Amino acid sequence: MRALAAEVAKLVSLPSVWIATAAGVLVPSGIAAINASAARGAITRGARATAGADLGYQELAFGVVGVIILGVVAISSEYVTESAESGGGRQITTSLTAVPSRLRFLLAKASAVAIAGASLAIVAGAATMSAVRVVLGEHAPPLGTDDVPRLAGVVCYWVCAALLAFAITVLTRHGVVPLAVLIANTSVVSVTYLLTKITPLANYLPDLAGAHMFVRTFAGGTVEISPLTGGLVMTAWTTALLTVAAVAFTRRDA
Amino acid sequence: MTAVTPPVTRSHGREAARALAAELSKLVSLPATWLTLGGTLAANPILAIAFTNAARHGPTGPRSAPDVGLTSIAYVQAGFVVLGVLAACSEYEGGQIRTTLTAMPRRSLQFAAKHLAVAIVALPAAAITAASGVVLAAGALGGTAAPTTAGHVVRTLSGAAAYLALWTLIGVAVGALVRQTLPAVVAVLGYLFIAGPLLRAQASAARYLPDSAGSAMWSSVDGGAVAPARGALLVSAWTIGLIAVALLGYRRRDN
Repeated sequence: MRALAAEVAKLVSLPSVWIATAAGVLVPSGIAAINASAARGAITRGARATAGADLGYQELAFGVVGVIILGVVAISSEYVTESAESGGGRQITTSLTAVPSRLRFLLAKASAVAIAGASLAIVAGAATMSAVRVVLGEHAPPLGTDDVPRLAGVVCYWVCAALLAFAITVLTRHGVVPLAVLIANTSVVSVTYLLTKITPLANYLPDLAGAHMFVRTFAGGTVEISPLTGGLVMTAWTTALLTVAAVAFTRRDA
Repeated sequence: MTAVTPPVTRSHGREAARALAAELSKLVSLPATWLTLGGTLAANPILAIAFTNAARHGPTGPRSAPDVGLTSIAYVQAGFVVLGVLAACSEYEGGQIRTTLTAMPRRSLQFAAKHLAVAIVALPAAAITAASGVVLAAGALGGTAAPTTAGHVVRTLSGAAAYLALWTLIGVAVGALVRQTLPAVVAVLGYLFIAGPLLRAQASAARYLPDSAGSAMWSSVDGGAVAPARGALLVSAWTIGLIAVALLGYRRRDN
């Protein structure tokens, strides 16, 4: 419990985490507001009857970049080498002196990342949905009971994405490569989406499968995945990568 | 009476040449430079093959080898941006910048030498990246590729290489402004992969932004883009503008 409190304190005091928070909240709500105003224009012109059912959710799939940064810096900050003037040390050595059990340390860290990711997802989800409703006014699709599992899916997706980024960075011990690869893969046409053009199996990669939890219509989707299956597939990926990260982390020098 | 010897001064040309040599030596001795370039050059053929496969099974008709082979540029540009950011930010990891500025007190000169050194390393790598994608696509498409002219191939290849080199320089400028690797990488890649494409979808003025204008240099897919030559001019202007802003900050700030 004290290890978890320590990890939460470390996360909260990292400036990059606040950048991640800003990105995670502003990116989806900002894009949702822009897209909603475009949809409003189309509705008032009579070009479309209603705003799409995915308005807001599609944008939350991009906002995941916030928790990706969060998951990466949570562990990459431990491995940053201080300048020679301040001893050239790394925080990981201090952390492991304070919490000698590697597994306990990693568990506490992952829990802190998961808690922060879930909180960020809730705030971002609320901000994005309010942005859509403020901009669209009476044209906004009503929030009903079937939005509850979808919003829960958003939270699950963000937590899994944060933990995936975290697990990959545990393996690389440096933030630039996972950050570059994962941000490049958050783009509108992601690399994983291109892979689905080669093999339908690519639909079961974590980001695509997980998005089925809350996005209803996929452009050119080739495989039907139910929200529950999508969530399970993404959770399985996350668990597998966390296990690999834990094995590597407990077996090698810090 | 002893004869007074005049103080030995370096000519400006000699000083610039030595600054460039120093910056090049720093850049090529950085393992991160070679790891980034190696990773990018290795990732590009994989992506190029994926795109070629997608193009063969895609609904759109036959496409020419440069069109298909250069599609991966939109992704591997991440590697070049990271190279630029690392070149700038490595100075600030561990205080190397103080040694650098003791040896080269003229900041503008040092800054220009840094950018030139990065361009010298990035341009051949960019050319190899672009060419390897097109060669792979041409080989894989074989007879099914749409016919193309030599002029088109040369224009798109040189456009892609110049585009990647310019974005590397933008990476250097942003890195020099931000001074920390991760935030700089997040800023540039967040713009390139998330903000840029979304802006392009919403506002027509976005075609003058460096990513959309730049993609006109090598991609013939985007509809409504600026002409290739204007795109090249626009990206160059953006790059020079960003370098100027970074230089202003560099001259005025403490290190």
